[in-house]
Amino acid sequence: MKMHSFRTISKLGFTNFWRNRWLSLAAILIMSLTLIIISVFVIFNLVIDTTTKAIKEKIDLAVYFNDEATELQIAELHDQIISRGDVKSVEYVTKEEAFRRWQNLKTSDKIKNLISAQDNPLPRSLEIKTSDPERLDSIANFVALDQFKPIVRSISYQKNKEIIQKLINITKFSTRIGWAFSIIFIAIAVLVILNTIRLTIFTRKDEIEIMRLVGASDSFIRVPFLVEGALYGIFAAILTVIIMGIGLNLVAPLISRYLGEVSLNLQTFYWHYLWLIIIIELFLGVFISTICSLISIRRHLKF
Amino acid sequence: MAFIDVVNLTKIYDIPKKGKITALGGVNIKIDRGEFISLVGPSGAGKSTLIRLFIREDVPTTGRISIAGRDITKLKTDDLPYYRRKVGVIFQDYKLLPQKTVYENIAFALEVCDVPAKEIREKVIKILALVGLSARMENYPHELSGGEQQRVAIARSLVHSPQIVIADEPTGNLDPVNSKEIIDLLLRINRAGAVVILATHNAEIVNNLRRRVISMRGGKVVSDSKIGRYKI
Repeated sequence: MKMHSFRTISKLGFTNFWRNRWLSLAAILIMSLTLIIISVFVIFNLVIDTTTKAIKEKIDLAVYFNDEATELQIAELHDQIISRGDVKSVEYVTKEEAFRRWQNLKTSDKIKNLISAQDNPLPRSLEIKTSDPERLDSIANFVALDQFKPIVRSISYQKNKEIIQKLINITKFSTRIGWAFSIIFIAIAVLVILNTIRLTIFTRKDEIEIMRLVGASDSFIRVPFLVEGALYGIFAAILTVIIMGIGLNLVAPLISRYLGEVSLNLQTFYWHYLWLIIIIELFLGVFISTICSLISIRRHLKF
Repeated sequence: MAFIDVVNLTKIYDIPKKGKITALGGVNIKIDRGEFISLVGPSGAGKSTLIRLFIREDVPTTGRISIAGRDITKLKTDDLPYYRRKVGVIFQDYKLLPQKTVYENIAFALEVCDVPAKEIREKVIKILALVGLSARMENYPHELSGGEQQRVAIARSLVHSPQIVIADEPTGNLDPVNSKEIIDLLLRINRAGAVVILATHNAEIVNNLRRRVISMRGGKVVSDSKIGRYKI
């Protein structure tokens, strides 16, 4: 196809888009709706992922030592633990550091004054963070080995094991559910777009028939519809970005209230990455609608 | 060798749960250049099927249609647009684009073939004069009478100077006066050199023409007379 004719044919797409503007508007609105659904689910999954990650971060294991344990013994255990592949970090909390944390507790002075720097019963401890909370069990079992029993007073994990396991299961479940729903809704959204475009082409089937009759080539018939489809995608993407921006401004405070410090600061994220989001929505909108146009026009071009 | 050679043309439709329907059961026709043919027959005789096969809206089950020595039933999909430009077709329901003016409807047939704008303008004006609609260039189809709309359809079918013009019940929706005008137009086109195939139910038109008449019934040709009369 010559460039000159491609320009002419594409111009026809713009003309048709404008001439059938009510139909185009309907298609754009429906496409925006579906793009919003897709975007909401992506954000939803992002929120779940971040929340579950934050929860996992908070799950850790503390090993408390007897006062009789020597620094060398603690250091040895520290080295053995840190050399494990499933351990992310090990922090040694000295008596002084434990006291400092005690002083920073949000409680009454009367309670705080129960412990003084001179008379400090708080044990030393190792705070262990893993890369995967499911490994905590294995680490706890290691620390509970007979060889360490003389120096280990207690292991925090054993007490909270049940709760921690429940939390792990909930986060796993939420992630899976989130993705399952997303896939279902995204599939529905794409089907809606496909059918919307099929309808717009169907309403113009007389026009297509006449074009074939007078000897228009397949590309002459096809390209304007692809251009129209792409235009639907572009306008739908722009509308989606605007509506999402407004929606997020309204909803973000609510999310922050519930998720507290684990909130993504969605608003900041959105406006910071606005250009990227616009490009992604544009790409998504144009890509889906162009493919759907190609599929839909095919049945009218059998011969 | 005949200009158009229809050899053993059959079309059998296989309808699920209803069995096979033979729309054309072995049609043989030879047509020379410059002929004017009336194609008559009752509903279901196979006229429309024959026309559909002629314009490659469908392919035959067996047999062939050769035009100027070329078997058009074997044309590749890519070649079809070029073939269709050489065959002018006129329908009972005109098939005009309602959102385009008379000028735009005719120009459209040239635009789809990448003809330059200046050339389009010259051709469309010439053809409008031919069909007597120069004054109605800027009107939309709904602003025209049935006869005028059909003339626009004829004009559109002529833009590529086709060698074959097929008219499927062109006067079906028209009164006798308009019908006569349309037939006269078709005769002029025929005199200019194109083969005209006119499928019609109108006995009076056929009998007044005193040209070749091919009668069809039950998917077969039952009579073919040089100077025929309408009999079905």
